[in-house]
Amino acid sequence: MAAHIKKQEIARSGGPAEVWSSLAAVARRPEAGSLLGLIVVYVFFAVLGGYTFLGLTGWSSWLNMAAEIGIIALPVGLLMIAGDLDISVGAVLPASSLTVAIISGYYDMPDYVGIAAGLTIGLAVGLINGLLVTFTRIPSLIITIGTMFVVMGLSLGFTIMIKGSTGVFIIPDPFTKSLLGTAMGGMFRVGILWWLAFIVVLYYFLHLSPWGNWVFAFGGDRESARNAGIPTKKLTLQLYMLSGFSAAFVGVMQVIANGSAQVAAGSSFIFNSIMCVVIGGVLLTGGAGSVIGIVVGTMTFAIVNQGIFYSGLDPNFGSIIIGALLLVAVMSNDKFRSLALSFTVKKEVRAQT
Amino acid sequence: MKMIGPFLRRPAAASVLSLIAVLAFYVIFGGVDLFKLAAAASWMNLAANLGIVAIPVGLLMIAGQIDISIGAMIPAGSITTAILSGHFGLPIEVGMLGALGLGVLVGLVNGLITVRTTVPSLIITLGTLIGMQGVVLSASMLIVGKASVPLMAPDWAKTIFGQLLGGSHQVIIVWWIALTAILAFTLHKTRYGNWIYALGGDKVSARNAGIPTDRLTIALFVLSATSASFVGMCQAILFNSSQVSGGMGYIFNAISSVVVGGVLLTGGFGSVMGIFVGTLTFAIVIQGIYFTQIDRNWSNLIIGVTLLVAMAMNESFRKMALSYAPSKRKIAK
Repeated sequence: MAAHIKKQEIARSGGPAEVWSSLAAVARRPEAGSLLGLIVVYVFFAVLGGYTFLGLTGWSSWLNMAAEIGIIALPVGLLMIAGDLDISVGAVLPASSLTVAIISGYYDMPDYVGIAAGLTIGLAVGLINGLLVTFTRIPSLIITIGTMFVVMGLSLGFTIMIKGSTGVFIIPDPFTKSLLGTAMGGMFRVGILWWLAFIVVLYYFLHLSPWGNWVFAFGGDRESARNAGIPTKKLTLQLYMLSGFSAAFVGVMQVIANGSAQVAAGSSFIFNSIMCVVIGGVLLTGGAGSVIGIVVGTMTFAIVNQGIFYSGLDPNFGSIIIGALLLVAVMSNDKFRSLALSFTVKKEVRAQT
Repeated sequence: MKMIGPFLRRPAAASVLSLIAVLAFYVIFGGVDLFKLAAAASWMNLAANLGIVAIPVGLLMIAGQIDISIGAMIPAGSITTAILSGHFGLPIEVGMLGALGLGVLVGLVNGLITVRTTVPSLIITLGTLIGMQGVVLSASMLIVGKASVPLMAPDWAKTIFGQLLGGSHQVIIVWWIALTAILAFTLHKTRYGNWIYALGGDKVSARNAGIPTDRLTIALFVLSATSASFVGMCQAILFNSSQVSGGMGYIFNAISSVVVGGVLLTGGFGSVMGIFVGTLTFAIVIQGIYFTQIDRNWSNLIIGVTLLVAMAMNESFRKMALSYAPSKRKIAK
């Protein structure tokens, strides 16, 4: 009994305990680890890269990259929060670029027709992915690998059939170019603003609207989510159409900015987007993650990828850093998650004693 | 009908049907001469290189895990062999041991992190994939100054690992068939095979039944990473230099072969023969198109369709297998 009281006293009087609990509260947030990673990586490259990396040139180079991956990483991250994957984004991106270039470049139709067609292709592939995932019990990884091959085959086959080569050119009109493909101040691509728009909209949907709760619930426990009346099939369709649309949107931006579309583009986005999401603290097991985390993860990824060119290190060394970051991120997320999950358990224990 | 039912319930059924369908498609629409195709080395070489990686990956998938770091381990095996035995001039045995040792090491890392955390192995091996890519390429740049390192293997090593049989068939085909036989025996005739199925079917029950699940998982990861670096090693010895690129393509190709071969990603279901036939199907789709009048640019489309159709067939055949019960009348008789 005496020991019991003593324990309580220690627990009450403990100043450090309060500090620890507030620190633990920060650590339990999904984006905590990723923010730390971002700071460490930025400081590391700031030291090595110096003023060029810290200045506008440095910012524009990694922000441009972050914007392109970020627009795809956001919906891929939402899908991963819901417990699913989308590999086909790597094929949708060039498919949409090629569609825009063929319709508005090769056939010389108005730009908006090509852009609408490109975005429609993204939505259509997303719809097919969603339907296949909801109506079979096959893991989404395999289904989207299948659709990836199909979309890749179709874009290559049709491009060769129509154009006769693997690259298609387009000269967008000035209005389209200023909206989707211009570089502000000659450095910052307009895609950064589009990325911001995606962030704001998806932040609202995931964290402020009931739809977001559905996504978390769905990723946490599908059976319970459906029993609670969440339209899980519709939700899956929406998420896949969102990721298809976003990949197509990046494809449209690329073709407008570069003036050409290539069949081979896009495959690097598959793993890169997943890496951004995971570094951002989303667990593939579903049910955890945040839009801010995904944004931080994307920025970290882009800083490593571009910062390496300012650092004087061998560019391949960047891959090691990203691999290490990824493993550290998943392992610390694992720790943080068990911290978060064991938090309520501890309360029960305290109540019992 | 008596023959068809049991056949369809086997995991390999869909892959055999896919193979027949692909061949029929190529013969009818592409005008393929089957004898010419059968004699060609191109698809067999592709199938062997892919198959040596696909079977261990398939075993992992039967056990409920996945390994995509193979995409980095193939170039890693190749570069390690070439740097140790080519650049430093050490005996070829050292280079080979180095390559295989690196495979064992990466497999251990993958396996240990997988059993120690609750993180899905897809993400863990994605980390080691990108990490190893960086390690291997920057090591090559630091040590040799270029990514392509020349290697002259002695005759005995070339005979065993890197000769062309009949001038066109890589000797790795023999290794592929041997590995298939060994792993088919292990999976289907030994208790280790039962352990793998049990692990993939229900991990907790498997552990409760006394199966050393952690050690088994680690062993499977070691097997897949080592097989991948073995393929890289053979390529380096065959082509007399390290092969840097081409590893990434193996990731989706190996997974596709395994899935066409009737393995469930969710674990607990599949067979080595299925993976073998799935790899053959995949290789024939890619290389066989050169023997047809079909434009080769459509080959990805054919792969995708084959994959989706094979998945659908697997799904329905598996339902048949799970719901199968001998009809009561027959028992009564």
